[in-house]
Amino acid sequence: MVLGTRRFRTGSPVVEEWTRLSPFTSFGRKQMNVKIKIGAVALVASLMAGTVPAFADFWSDAGAKLKGVTLRGVTESTPPSNYIKDVLAPEFEQKTGIKVEIETTSWDQMYDKAIKDMEAKTGIYDMVYIEQDIVYAYLARNFLVDITQTLKGDPSLKAPDFDETKFTTFANYFKGANGDLFGVPMEAFIKIYLYRKDLFDDPKIKEAFKAATGKDLAPAKTHEDYTQIADFFTKYAKDNSLELWGTTAQAHTGHPASWYEFFESVAPTFGVYNWGIDASNNYAASVANGGTMNSDKSKEALKYWLHLRDIAPPESAASTWTEVATTFAAGRAAQGLVYGENAAWIASDAEKSKVVGNVGVALPPVADGVIAEAEAGKGYIGYYDGGAFGIPVTSKSKEAALLFLQYIGQDSVQGGWAVAAPRITNTSTYEDPGVKDMDAKLGGYYTMLKDDGKLFAGAPPYPFHAQVREATSPIFYRILTGEVGPDEGLDQMAAAAEAELQNLGYRK
Amino acid sequence: MGSNRTGWLMLAPTLLILGVFGIVPFFYVLYLSFHQWNPFAANPNMIFIGANNFRRLVFDGEFLTSLWFTLKFAFFAVVSEIIIGYMLAQMLTRDFYGKGFFRTIHTLPLIVAPIVVGSVWRLMTTPSIGIIPYYLNKWFGYQLNIGSDATAAFIITVIMDIWHWTPLVTLTLLAAIVSLPKDPFEQAQIDGANRWQIFWHITLPMIRPAILATVFIRLMDALRTVDEVWMLTGGGPGAATRFVGLHIWKIVFPKTDYGYGSAISIIVLYLTLVMCWLLYVGLVAPRVRRSKVNADA
Repeated sequence: MVLGTRRFRTGSPVVEEWTRLSPFTSFGRKQMNVKIKIGAVALVASLMAGTVPAFADFWSDAGAKLKGVTLRGVTESTPPSNYIKDVLAPEFEQKTGIKVEIETTSWDQMYDKAIKDMEAKTGIYDMVYIEQDIVYAYLARNFLVDITQTLKGDPSLKAPDFDETKFTTFANYFKGANGDLFGVPMEAFIKIYLYRKDLFDDPKIKEAFKAATGKDLAPAKTHEDYTQIADFFTKYAKDNSLELWGTTAQAHTGHPASWYEFFESVAPTFGVYNWGIDASNNYAASVANGGTMNSDKSKEALKYWLHLRDIAPPESAASTWTEVATTFAAGRAAQGLVYGENAAWIASDAEKSKVVGNVGVALPPVADGVIAEAEAGKGYIGYYDGGAFGIPVTSKSKEAALLFLQYIGQDSVQGGWAVAAPRITNTSTYEDPGVKDMDAKLGGYYTMLKDDGKLFAGAPPYPFHAQVREATSPIFYRILTGEVGPDEGLDQMAAAAEAELQNLGYRK
Repeated sequence: MGSNRTGWLMLAPTLLILGVFGIVPFFYVLYLSFHQWNPFAANPNMIFIGANNFRRLVFDGEFLTSLWFTLKFAFFAVVSEIIIGYMLAQMLTRDFYGKGFFRTIHTLPLIVAPIVVGSVWRLMTTPSIGIIPYYLNKWFGYQLNIGSDATAAFIITVIMDIWHWTPLVTLTLLAAIVSLPKDPFEQAQIDGANRWQIFWHITLPMIRPAILATVFIRLMDALRTVDEVWMLTGGGPGAATRFVGLHIWKIVFPKTDYGYGSAISIIVLYLTLVMCWLLYVGLVAPRVRRSKVNADA
């Protein structure tokens, strides 16, 4: 029932209208004391609540003004986005009458379409997915509507259950310099260390591991441990003719996913942050100029990762983030770094995953001192990924889009969404019973997100994100194919990054 | 006069579409190629830089590498398609059991969108999972990995293109072959010519215009290949399949270097025209001249 008691308080327009027209109250106004009147109003209001279905809630009222509008959004095809398309958009459509068309496509195509639309000011899209790493570029170009200011400017658009303060701190990534919100967070997750509990708890395997290494088999805390476990499982599987390898590797030789795995998930665990670029030092990337992209730590990290790639399943050289999740779900890897957005289906969807019930989560292995730096806010141990929905300033239906963004930002829709796709953007979602159940199935992933999320970080606040990536990734791919050695390659990448930053005018 | 106006009126929609979607964008790209323009640069405005973009690409190793790979790709793909297409066309001139079924199956790849072709081939070639690596390993012990083997990835992109576009060549050449007059062939047989002599001296010269038209079409297509390869390899491993169309796409879209991307586009268009012109001058023009001389004589 959509009637809310808030709309039937004394003094509300509905009650005043009823009071003015009702013979009962006009007759009694002079005779009844205030208590009786309030009691009568409450009685009649409660009766009306049960008998008058015509009164609408905020969504149908707001939607009525925008009837006939069709919203178009573009987003990456991920579990959280698919939930918007399949569940939240139809719900919103039913409540408001505003049609919502969500286009889910590949990551590359999503950017291609969104940027072209906003750049050319064609106004095709009313909502665009803003991944955390691109928001700075969008803000620098004034592509996005200031949600906070727009809602302040037109309070009639403000949904009663939408409150910016209910978001987790991840929402801060989508705030401008003035502290205003430019995107409603719709997914937030960390790239975690997944391991196979069934393998790690198998007595026979534990015994074999102990015999081979002299150590107890447990999720790795250091890079040495991780490598040792990966080496062990790859050899163990080969010796026993199993289709199993020691680790995953997101090591596509022609797709930026590999570049991201290294710079956002591996290099930070060695203490190389912000892609090795020092923004405070004239955007230096090379060691010679004060950067760390080609530092000894960075080179050590790359060699560590390249070794893991070599003992990972053969498909790793053609794996992006999606294939890594698929590899893990297919039971082909004993451990790996996997984006949290895939953790739920890997751990719980028996139709897609062969490792349901056997998934454990842990923090990524790190070098000495990295955890301390992360706790002190001077570094981070992995990637806090996520995205928001924003409204392009070129949208032709900003009001309707704003309603939709508020709809998906409400606490009330978060629980089901988090269970379907492991993402949490509102603080209250952690207390949802469904989320708590799922947390147990995921081996405590949500608890980790809540307690240790602060140790992870999103992409650095660079407005030249894709530009530097594209300038350096061809060299990175050549490192992966062995055409260039890791040391020489990182030197070349640092030089290419600085040249690109100079070309773009950021580096003087 | 009236019919002239009617003619122009009937042409007008086509000319309008050509102007709006062909000529205007061409001049816009040409205009951009003389500018530095990256909307995510510190200065996001267009800055006129003369021919600097063109000078830059002459020394751009990545561009030159992608151009070289593209030319190799176009050569192997188009030559293979012409040879296989001709053989299949000859086969289809004969009667055999299941000919209709074969012709239908053989033509099916033509109706598949390139992006789907790329997806299907990616599924078929993904190491450990795809059907092609599986059987190559099972039958020959060869481990195909297009993620790490540059040569294998290049060959697979060529094979994928051949699979996709050979039916077009077959249909074009089949149409040319079945329309040939029978008399010269009968005369040649009476004169005792063997099959090779008939092919070399009669069939080939007579279908040469059809072959050249097909080569032009396929060459232009091969030089601008993007979607199939983008889906299959993403341009990797390394830069092994980063063909020039894909290179331009990466410069223009993810990197948003519109000025430089436009300059590369113009140069690639120019090179395509030059190659087609060379083919015309080398293969078509001499024959036209000879025909004219013979007619004059």
